[in-house]
Amino acid sequence: MISPGQKVYAYFPGCSLETTNKAYDSSTRNVAKVLGVEMVELADWNCCGATAYLSIDDGRAMVLSARNLALSEGQSRDLVTVCSGCYVVLHKANHRFQEDPQLRDRVREALKAGGMDYRGTVRVRHFLDVVVNDLGKEAIERHVVRRLEGLRVACYYGCQITRPYAEFDDAEFPESMDRLMGWLGATPVDFQLKTKCCSGMLMTTQQDVGLDAAGKLLREARRAGADCISTACPLCQVNLEAYQDKISDRAGADSHIPVLYFTQLLGTALGLGNRELALGDSLTRVEPMLAARLEAP
Amino acid sequence: MNATEARALTDEFLESVRATPGGEKIDQCLQCGTCSASCPSSRAMDYPPRAAIAALRAGMLDRVLASNTVWLCTSCYLCTVRCPAGIPFTDVMYQLKRLGIEKGYVRGRTNGVEMAKAFVEVVDRCGRSSEGELLRNYFWSTNPLRALAYLPLGWRLLRRGRIGVRPRRIAGIEGLRTMMAAMEKGRSR
Amino acid sequence: MKDGNQIGVYICHCGTNIARTVDIQEVAGFARSLPGVAVVREYKYMCSDPGQALIKEDIKSERLTHVVVASCSPLMHEETFRGACEDAGLNRFLFQMSNIREQCSWVHHERSEATEKAKRLIAAAVRRVAQHRPLLRQEVPVRGEALVVGAGIAGIEAALRLADSGRHVYLVEKESSIGGHMARFDKTFPTLDCAACILTPKMVTVGQHPNITLLTLSAVEEVKGFVGNFHVKVHQHARYVTADCTGCGECEKVCPCVHPNDFDLLGSTRKAIYRSFPQAIPNAYVIEKRGVPMCEETCPIHTRTQGYVNLIAHGDFTGALKVIRDVNPFPASLGRVCHHPCEDRCQRGYHDESLAICALKRFVADREIELGLSPEPVRPEPNGRKVAVVGSGPAGLTGAYDLARKGYAITIFEKYGKPGGLMRTGIPPFRLPREILDREVAHVLAHGVELRLNTPLGESGVTIESLKEDGFDAILLALGTTKGRDLGIPGEHLVGVVNCLDYLREANLHDRAETGRRVAVVGGGNAAVDAARTALRHGAENVMILYRRTREEMPAIGAEIEAAKHEGVELHFLVNPVELRVGPSGRLNRVRCQKMRLGQPDEGGRRRPIPIDGEYVEFEIDQVILAISQLPDLDFLVKDKDFDLTKWATLRADPYTCETGKLGVFAAGDAVTGPSTVVEAMASGRQAATAVDLYLHGEDLDILRQESHRPQELPLMDHVRRPDLPRKPRARIPVNHGAGISFEEVERTFTREQAMEEAARCLVCGGCSDCRICSDACDREAIDHLMADTVHELDVGAIVVATGFEPYDVRKLPRYGYGRHDDVITALEFERMCHASGPTGGRITTKKGEAPKTVAILHCIGSRDESHLEYCSRVCCMYSLKFAHLVREHTGAEVYNFYIDIRAFGKGYEEFYKRLLREGVHFIRGKAAEVTAVAESPEEEGKLMVVAEDTLLGITRRVPAELVILSAGLAPRKDSSDVAHVFSLGCAQGGFFLEKHPKLAPVDTPTEGIFLAGACQGPKDIPDSVAQGSAAAAGALVLMDRGKVVLEPIRAVIREERCGGCKLCVASCPFGAVEYDAERSISRVVRELCHGCGTCAAGCPSGAATQENFEDTQILAEIEGALAV
Repeated sequence: MISPGQKVYAYFPGCSLETTNKAYDSSTRNVAKVLGVEMVELADWNCCGATAYLSIDDGRAMVLSARNLALSEGQSRDLVTVCSGCYVVLHKANHRFQEDPQLRDRVREALKAGGMDYRGTVRVRHFLDVVVNDLGKEAIERHVVRRLEGLRVACYYGCQITRPYAEFDDAEFPESMDRLMGWLGATPVDFQLKTKCCSGMLMTTQQDVGLDAAGKLLREARRAGADCISTACPLCQVNLEAYQDKISDRAGADSHIPVLYFTQLLGTALGLGNRELALGDSLTRVEPMLAARLEAP
Repeated sequence: MNATEARALTDEFLESVRATPGGEKIDQCLQCGTCSASCPSSRAMDYPPRAAIAALRAGMLDRVLASNTVWLCTSCYLCTVRCPAGIPFTDVMYQLKRLGIEKGYVRGRTNGVEMAKAFVEVVDRCGRSSEGELLRNYFWSTNPLRALAYLPLGWRLLRRGRIGVRPRRIAGIEGLRTMMAAMEKGRSR
Repeated sequence: MKDGNQIGVYICHCGTNIARTVDIQEVAGFARSLPGVAVVREYKYMCSDPGQALIKEDIKSERLTHVVVASCSPLMHEETFRGACEDAGLNRFLFQMSNIREQCSWVHHERSEATEKAKRLIAAAVRRVAQHRPLLRQEVPVRGEALVVGAGIAGIEAALRLADSGRHVYLVEKESSIGGHMARFDKTFPTLDCAACILTPKMVTVGQHPNITLLTLSAVEEVKGFVGNFHVKVHQHARYVTADCTGCGECEKVCPCVHPNDFDLLGSTRKAIYRSFPQAIPNAYVIEKRGVPMCEETCPIHTRTQGYVNLIAHGDFTGALKVIRDVNPFPASLGRVCHHPCEDRCQRGYHDESLAICALKRFVADREIELGLSPEPVRPEPNGRKVAVVGSGPAGLTGAYDLARKGYAITIFEKYGKPGGLMRTGIPPFRLPREILDREVAHVLAHGVELRLNTPLGESGVTIESLKEDGFDAILLALGTTKGRDLGIPGEHLVGVVNCLDYLREANLHDRAETGRRVAVVGGGNAAVDAARTALRHGAENVMILYRRTREEMPAIGAEIEAAKHEGVELHFLVNPVELRVGPSGRLNRVRCQKMRLGQPDEGGRRRPIPIDGEYVEFEIDQVILAISQLPDLDFLVKDKDFDLTKWATLRADPYTCETGKLGVFAAGDAVTGPSTVVEAMASGRQAATAVDLYLHGEDLDILRQESHRPQELPLMDHVRRPDLPRKPRARIPVNHGAGISFEEVERTFTREQAMEEAARCLVCGGCSDCRICSDACDREAIDHLMADTVHELDVGAIVVATGFEPYDVRKLPRYGYGRHDDVITALEFERMCHASGPTGGRITTKKGEAPKTVAILHCIGSRDESHLEYCSRVCCMYSLKFAHLVREHTGAEVYNFYIDIRAFGKGYEEFYKRLLREGVHFIRGKAAEVTAVAESPEEEGKLMVVAEDTLLGITRRVPAELVILSAGLAPRKDSSDVAHVFSLGCAQGGFFLEKHPKLAPVDTPTEGIFLAGACQGPKDIPDSVAQGSAAAAGALVLMDRGKVVLEPIRAVIREERCGGCKLCVASCPFGAVEYDAERSISRVVRELCHGCGTCAAGCPSGAATQENFEDTQILAEIEGALAV
């Protein structure tokens, strides 16, 4: 086990972290700093392709992913992202690259046309995986300065972080984030919907379906007695924080609950301030909740 | 489309599915319904996953494509990880989406398609996407008035600097386009 | 190729099986063209009598030298045709079979291709057979005994059949009772008769059958030999209960150790001594011993810790004390001063905090005192021998205690005016009150031990010689350490510098110790800490401990160091006194210390302190107490040259036998080992006492030299990770700093409640706590806690493997909520729930104890699933139907079966299915996707919901259920690969054993003489298992009744002239059939053992090892033939 000081990763923020979810980006970068993890942003990365592109054109979508993988190849660093969408898309590209020789040749030809190549050696990781498995209990606990004693957290993993590959945790009942919250002194509640889809990608296109799905999650988190929901995916985050009024009206039941990225909770425990963690960006009452639950540092 | 044409279309599709890694397992479907019962949006689907496979077996792909099914898939992979027969059905859904567009099965302005198209347009132009522009394209191509409903949310996001106006164009955009083109060529060959 | 060959080639149409795709005529024509071929015939069914007749006639009339038959697979008819050749007087090995069906006609569609291939196959066979030589078969006798492994219903059936036919059967069962899974069932499908009613009669017969030797708690470790002559090694784990057990159950009542009941499941519990179920065979109890727990292992005197701890938990304090006193006369004293290594690796420590074992020991001892009770000494008949013990410290007293309890007349000689050694002179009263010590010394003396005080070893007292003259048969020297070691620095002999032992002795014996105002104690051991705390109590204003290492390295007991700090003792680390200086007054007033740092660890593992050049520190003091180390006073003894010293100035004695240089004189304790703790000294005393006893019985002391086994951790108890009550800190007297520090004892003892609660935290990782009160409860004296495992060596002619299955672990499918929701249970748990003698007494109930109104039964859990069990488990549908019926019958609840397909294939099964349909059971065609407690609507609140698609309706249904039964599939046993290895069986489907042929030899295995029965071969219901049991028995009987077996001559041979003796074959032979002849340095094949697998032939570098009928020439010829066309 290398000491955290020596850890270096290639960082793939993903499009949504530039704007809508910039809080996820800043909290991630700052947390990494405190933990002595170097996250070198992948130079001139492009959109991973996401589910949308995959639905329109498979080949071109592969090229999008492959270009990113090619960019980070040869640095002998894992390619780390905090966006579950990017995570699964890049992962998938990698898998298909291995499994489907024909596709591999086509993609490599395409890359070569643009003066690049990919041999399939990059390992794609989610930041949660890095924190829990590369750093681990001791390393995290050593840096905790403000234990989240008494804070009850519903750990929401979303669907794409462990599916379909279940790379670092169970596909339906993962534990990583719950364990992490435990290390921070918080109490993970028994949140049974932890990997049920929030249907975020339907929120604009088939809103009724989206709202129902998100509503179930919010209300179950409240029922489980959580003070907040901790997310690991930008799409889940927006989807769960943005429509709470609508959902409450629609369901005729108060469905409000603070929602924040796991990196923001981690950062809080590491002693980072609200600004460094951009807690103010949230559409839910995150700051008041934390203020009420935790005694001042 | 008559039954024979439908059958042919279906068989052609099934072949392409079998050609993808793991796709051949589609023939092992037990019709146990685990997929449908696990799918977050199956209730809204004309053909829930199991029924969709049944339809394929019956040579009725055209009906599936014409239905609302595929664009309701949220790509959560629950059907895939649970399927006792090991069928990667989420991937099949992607294939169905693409085939539907290719064969012009998209009924008028299917929201999902428009959203995806809007997305692709932005990415092709800049190499990255941005919600702001994405939504603008989307509502423009679907129903601009519906955008009004999103103004309050939009404002709250804007206030927090969470809406980017234009995505930064990546430096290697030209290279990316070349690659895309090359990929197209690779396929046609 | 040899001339004069007359080869006959016979081509079979196999009806149309071959003829359809192979052009027989063309092939026949081709065959005629092959060199050496004299006759070619084709026939519709070559295997038929007329077909065989063709061959026989040609052999005679055409004087054929070799025969080739091209037809089906040799697995089918090789025997048939070889037989035919033999009948006609041709050696059966001058025959070759060519498979043109399975490997040709069946796998080709293109007629021309199939025909071409057939030609090549035949050409190959013809070339090969020309190389064949006649081989002779060997006959060996078959033993009459049989071994049956596994006593489930299949094994029981096989054993009974064999035994009834007069064969002796060894029936080996892993569990403590026979019966297998069936013994846990309530009813059996489809007839619904009670499992026990039909099983137990068979079990009883097994138990009483004169021809059956039943070996429970046993496993086969090794199988050697070959068909008809197997040599088997069986390891039988001790039951700890003898055959005298009548199953009365008195032991169970008194046993304090509770464990999860893995037979009844559903969170029920059983005792450490238990019987799985009332009709168990053998009907004897069994004790679960998992091994020696760490607390006992690490205790120098090996106190049966869990024994007394668990008796305390149950309020049997007297019993607890009895357990302790078996090995320890000083419970109250040790309960106070022991350094309790027992607590260091307590399994409870992996969970929260290790048990407060030492304080519990003290509790029972103190309670006895409180109640004014006094322990009964053990006074056996005197054996007429006298032993002198010199020294009344812990070593001497323990030695005396042990020997007195063995009937020796003991006299203890003590140098000082009071007994106890360092327990008295070293340990201050505020840690070990005097009345406690006196009382426990008195208990030792109460064993008829005589004590002579003020009697040192030396002219002034007794000498070795005088003792011998006084008629002592043996002498045990336990002199202890009474001298302090010097620092060897300037100023050491100034007034005000005192040695720790002297200081403490003065204080503790005479309660007057000259003490300064500012006192420095040098050293880090218990003596140093005691001296420091004593100094405070004798009026010192300021006491500091100077230690050259750090807190971590301090040998003193942690709690004592804390207490000292608490009382105001200053601790200065990494300082080493180099000079003691006088002030202007001319009196000692400063200690100058070298500053140190820690270097590499020494052999003892403690990091060695290293001086930091030029860095010094001084402390102002007026008294220095030196507590560096302690030495025995042996000046007198060593005048006798039979005694000598070690380089550490301790008395030399044998580390195992405690013998000194002088016959009959033994030595123990600190004088030998150097400074140690009380309990370590006791252990040393015990060791010497044991040696003395052996010596006086004229036995060989070398048995003491056997290395004691390595202590090893026991496997963690399952509940170690479960949240549980935290450890209670013990009560302590508040300490007032500075002056008024009292001589009153600092630590208090547990209250009754505290003690019982604390003791109840023990996880009993030893399984049985070894308290042995069951032995007292058993009036048949059937319990033997010291019983050892046994290894049986058996010779048998045939073996039946019937090791069964295990239910699939449903935790691997978390979506069904097992383990998260109490009312989601497994099929096996439901069987127990229905069972009259199960945990609920046959009541079908929810965890809350209510009768469920709706019950869901989920089929195919784990089965028919690529990522779990790919196959259909065959029995789940039917037992699920049985469950549905039982639920309806017992509770009238609504029952929902979620199924993919109903497989009711057996006799009466379909009828049973219909019956269930009539009984109004709901059948939903769709596999349950998940079980969730998350309500989607108000009426779902607080209910378990089963989510599944009703595939016949095409809609997803959410069905509420108060009880959910998971019909888990049947999986191979986890240990199946080991078992397969022992019996050299093949495995399929992840561990089910491979039969010889799926249809035609379902209970035979490729290894002749070894048969399969029951679910170890594949998922099976009871009728099929019983049928296979009988079939396997029949297979074994055929062998045994024939009385001899013919060994196929297709065996390996090693040509001596070529063998280089590299032994590669010896190592590579899977059957141990190759042995090495050392003097001729060649390897030789033991034909009986050789299975003809060819491994040695393939591996032999010099080509000396070959295999009959598979020689290189033959194989090459075959290949050439195939390529030639």
